[in-house]
Amino acid sequence: MTLLRSTRNPTWRRFLPLLVILGLVALVVWRMLYLGSVGERFNAGFFLRAFIDSVKLGSLYALIALGYTMVYGIIRLINFAHGEVFMVGAFTTYFLFTITPYALPAAIVMAIILTFGLMRVVELFRGSMRDPIVLGVGAIGVVVLTVALSAFTWPFWAAIVGSMLATGVLGLSIDRVAYVPLRSAPRNSLLITAIAVSFFLQNVGLLAFTNRQTPFRPDTPLTTPLAFEVGGAPVLTNWLLVAIPVVTLVLVIALTSFVTRTRLGKAMRASAQDAEVAQMMGVSVNKVIATTFLLGSMLAAAGGAMWGLNFGSLNQPAIMGILPGIKAFAAAVIGGIGSLPGAVIGAMIIGFSENFLTALFPRTPTFLGITEFKDTFAFVLLILVLLIRPSGIVGEDLSEKV
Amino acid sequence: MAMLEVERLRKSFGGLTATNDVGFHVDQGEIVSIIGPNGAGKSTVFNLITGVYRPDAGDVRFEGTSIVGKSTNQVVDLGIARTFQNLRLFTNLTVLENVLISQHHRLRSNWLSAVFRTPSYRRQERAMREVATEKLGFFGPRLQSFRLHQPVYVLSYANRRRTEMARAMATGAKLLLLDEPSAGMNPKETSEITQIIRRMRDEGGYTIVVVEHKMNLVGEISDRVIVLDYGQKIAEGAYRDVVNDPKVIEAYLGKKAGDDKREELADG
Amino acid sequence: MARIVTPTAFDAIDPKKRVRNVALTFLAVGVGVLVLYLLEGIGSTKLVQALALFAIWGVATVSLNLINGTLGILSLGHHGFMLIGGYTTGLLMLDEAARQRILTSARSTMTEETLALSVSNLLRGFGLEALTTPETLWVRFLIAIFLGGLLAAFAGLLVGTPSLRLRGDYLAIVTFGFGEIIRLTASTRLFSAYTNGALGFPGVTSEFGKSIWWTFGALAFTVFVISKLKYSSYGRAMQAIREDEIAAQAMGVNVAYHKVLGFVISAFFAGVAGGLWVSWLGGVRLDFFLFQLTFFFLVAISAGGTGSITGVLLGTAVVVFVRQYGDPLEESYSIQTWLYIASATLALAAAGAVLFRTLRRLRPRLHWGSWVLVGGAAAAALVAAVDPAVIEGTFRGFGMRAIFLSVLLIVIMVFRPDGMLGRTEFSWSWFLREQRTGPTDEERTQDAWLSNPAFGSEAGRAAAREQELAEDDTDAPEGSDDEGRR
Repeated sequence: MTLLRSTRNPTWRRFLPLLVILGLVALVVWRMLYLGSVGERFNAGFFLRAFIDSVKLGSLYALIALGYTMVYGIIRLINFAHGEVFMVGAFTTYFLFTITPYALPAAIVMAIILTFGLMRVVELFRGSMRDPIVLGVGAIGVVVLTVALSAFTWPFWAAIVGSMLATGVLGLSIDRVAYVPLRSAPRNSLLITAIAVSFFLQNVGLLAFTNRQTPFRPDTPLTTPLAFEVGGAPVLTNWLLVAIPVVTLVLVIALTSFVTRTRLGKAMRASAQDAEVAQMMGVSVNKVIATTFLLGSMLAAAGGAMWGLNFGSLNQPAIMGILPGIKAFAAAVIGGIGSLPGAVIGAMIIGFSENFLTALFPRTPTFLGITEFKDTFAFVLLILVLLIRPSGIVGEDLSEKV
Repeated sequence: MAMLEVERLRKSFGGLTATNDVGFHVDQGEIVSIIGPNGAGKSTVFNLITGVYRPDAGDVRFEGTSIVGKSTNQVVDLGIARTFQNLRLFTNLTVLENVLISQHHRLRSNWLSAVFRTPSYRRQERAMREVATEKLGFFGPRLQSFRLHQPVYVLSYANRRRTEMARAMATGAKLLLLDEPSAGMNPKETSEITQIIRRMRDEGGYTIVVVEHKMNLVGEISDRVIVLDYGQKIAEGAYRDVVNDPKVIEAYLGKKAGDDKREELADG
Repeated sequence: MARIVTPTAFDAIDPKKRVRNVALTFLAVGVGVLVLYLLEGIGSTKLVQALALFAIWGVATVSLNLINGTLGILSLGHHGFMLIGGYTTGLLMLDEAARQRILTSARSTMTEETLALSVSNLLRGFGLEALTTPETLWVRFLIAIFLGGLLAAFAGLLVGTPSLRLRGDYLAIVTFGFGEIIRLTASTRLFSAYTNGALGFPGVTSEFGKSIWWTFGALAFTVFVISKLKYSSYGRAMQAIREDEIAAQAMGVNVAYHKVLGFVISAFFAGVAGGLWVSWLGGVRLDFFLFQLTFFFLVAISAGGTGSITGVLLGTAVVVFVRQYGDPLEESYSIQTWLYIASATLALAAAGAVLFRTLRRLRPRLHWGSWVLVGGAAAAALVAAVDPAVIEGTFRGFGMRAIFLSVLLIVIMVFRPDGMLGRTEFSWSWFLREQRTGPTDEERTQDAWLSNPAFGSEAGRAAAREQELAEDDTDAPEGSDDEGRR
């Protein structure tokens, strides 16, 4: 993964993106003013609402996109199953705050899964599963969590954390079962396997959860309504406007510090540059890859939980993860696949193009609006980026030496 | 008119100038060797000639017409074929299939004729097989019998090299660019290759440019030798002269060796 | 053991063998026709429908394999091509009554102009009234299918062109994107006049899609074209692109042309499959063309073996079987039964793992993974036997077929990525066992493994010894290419 912008372009070329962005901003502002003059409805409040929604959506996509970009950076695999991991994260959160307390057998199983996840997280810092602290955490964790799961109703914050751990374990398992055996297989096989895993999770989700929409209304202060006025126009939203970007920011900063400051993080970056040489330098690339899956899945789970909060319900499991997954992947590519800040930038772009553009071309008596094309837009953008500038905004070029 | 004319060729990758103002010509029927230390840009020159890279500046002319900007398969159509430094055979396909594929570009039937196996297609297919067996025959009967239908991955390294050369010959090219044809071969196999290359020119009528490291091979077959270093041509001429050129010695062995040589020549 | 390889299937250059092959093929086709006739007569409707579906999906998988297997490009947009072919054929073949219904329906978005698009009107325009009668429905169907394929082929051209600049994963995503874009835009107002938006339109004649003869005829045609293409010079060029694109280019293969050619041909047959599929279903709707369809094709191709058309057909048979006869998997059983089934599956998986490791001589045989499986099996069985809450409830196996197929695909990718048949293709030479079962003496001398005194025949060993003596002559003589080696 890269963290720094490439500095090899000639000066005039470096300013080109900036000019393009300024140009786009100018166009947007002009359009906003035009709409404002056309209809009462299109006031500052309307656009602010759209802006807020775009930021929230972009943050959510960022959490998913980071998982894609990290995995691709190291093993050059588009993890098709990541969208489904996001879906499982959302549903796990749901099942942790709605039907707790569990019956004892279920509580034990869940406690084992959560503790395993916790042990893996602690292991990131302690180095090995056999470390006394890790083992201690494991022993205590199982007991404590079994009690917690069978005796109490879980609050939302605990449900998110628990879901992150459980989904992290899911990510690890997918890697272990499906991807590790194919480390030396041709690229196409790996991709097909990823698709198979994605399909498997979709249908297991359908089987295990439901085929209907699930309302997602936990009892949390984050959804408290928030009303304020902007330029005379009222804006009705809730505290998620703050919560989602803040949580995303915190997680992204945590991830970036992990990747820059810890030894394992450096190993991850080394493997992303050249896995073979990293292995020769003593890095356990399999461990690095497993860590990538763990962290990526945890972020996706957080994204899933907040997605549910944001939209108030969860779509049917077989389709919930597909579109956000593809859009997040598009975000990662647009920003520059393999780059962490790139994923965030790309996600914001996708979030804005989805929300803000629909606001800029709204439904009027004379125009049907472009909501129909909302989803196509991400695909089209993805294809355009892949054809015109496959390295993305921040990314580097990887071509073959003859 | 020379068969191949390379003029002031330049190519940079990012900040690195791989080829800097390289120019030479190859006349028909010649065997020209290109030598130089590792990283001197020898394979890059091949890539530039065959259209894998587009030169930043300079021209490449084949039989009088400029071929800069043409795609690799167009260059093959015109009559230039190459082998690769680290063997790029179609490993899961058989020897015969490998040598047939390089003839595909000369097929005059379209895909519909191929699907419906028209008589003209069948005729061309038979002719292609004959050409394939003939080219493989350059190396004796070893690749012509049962090995024809063996997938390349069971072949020994030397046999793979031979298959690759036969494949390049089968393209029907007039000019062959051989990139380190004797890499990985023992002395017996190397001398065999030397004979083969000479036979290719004498019997097959090919014009050959060879990138090589083994000086004995270079010495035995070259009509002319071109020396590259850091992307530039530093010497050209007969093998004997080039080998005693102080600049060349300096490139391979360092400044001191070069200076020693200059002293030696000055002393007469 | 050194591999004894017969000349590539379909390679019979010897004219006598060619005549024999053609005769045998005709014979086989005759037998096949008889079998189909019998099955149609005595088989249940379900069987006939399953066979028809096998043929239709066979057209799709064989054409998909042209790109995925022969060209080596992972294409995930096949359902998009089928959609185009399906909608085209569907619209062109809608009967008058259905058209009237749609015209008068309030919710439909189709216009009079678009509803006038039918093969009959087209033919009338050319003055071919005779071909618009009910008896000549089959002519109109053929035309509709062909036009569907043609439009899909055009889409294949559009999708194939970006393939020139992208590789591997990115290309797969782009093809997936195209597939989805096609489906998403088909429902928008840009095309809803032609597609009736999300409603789709029922009323496409099922006479041809459900007919064994039409579907198998289409399959035979597809297999003929694709296999003749694959085993021709063009097919070899495509395989070269798969093996090593740069080397292929360096050997004169026009990579761009062949990639696009592959996409166009594949898309054409996908369109044909789409038209037949629509006829099988009796109507057209957007959700008949989801990515799930391409996924099933992927399973079929990978399970059967991307290297051989016979394998692809075998894989298709498996997938169709699961789809048509997999209903028992998706019924409601008591949770106890489910747990026992789960337990049995896990135990079988553990046994399979142990068997696999024994066959491949991997140690330890009882890998910790097997222990996990055994533990799971035991746990499931225990809970099933003991937990009262579990014994009461029932559970519906929603989507079990898809789960089964995805697990199958994962298992195949991990354990046997070449698929069931790998690259083994059916051919009369193979069928008649024309391959030699032992190496010739020449092979023994020239093949290092076979020359090893530990194996091989006496003659071979003697010849090998002779060769070693000849090679001790270190002075490489003039013109020493080969005469010495014999």
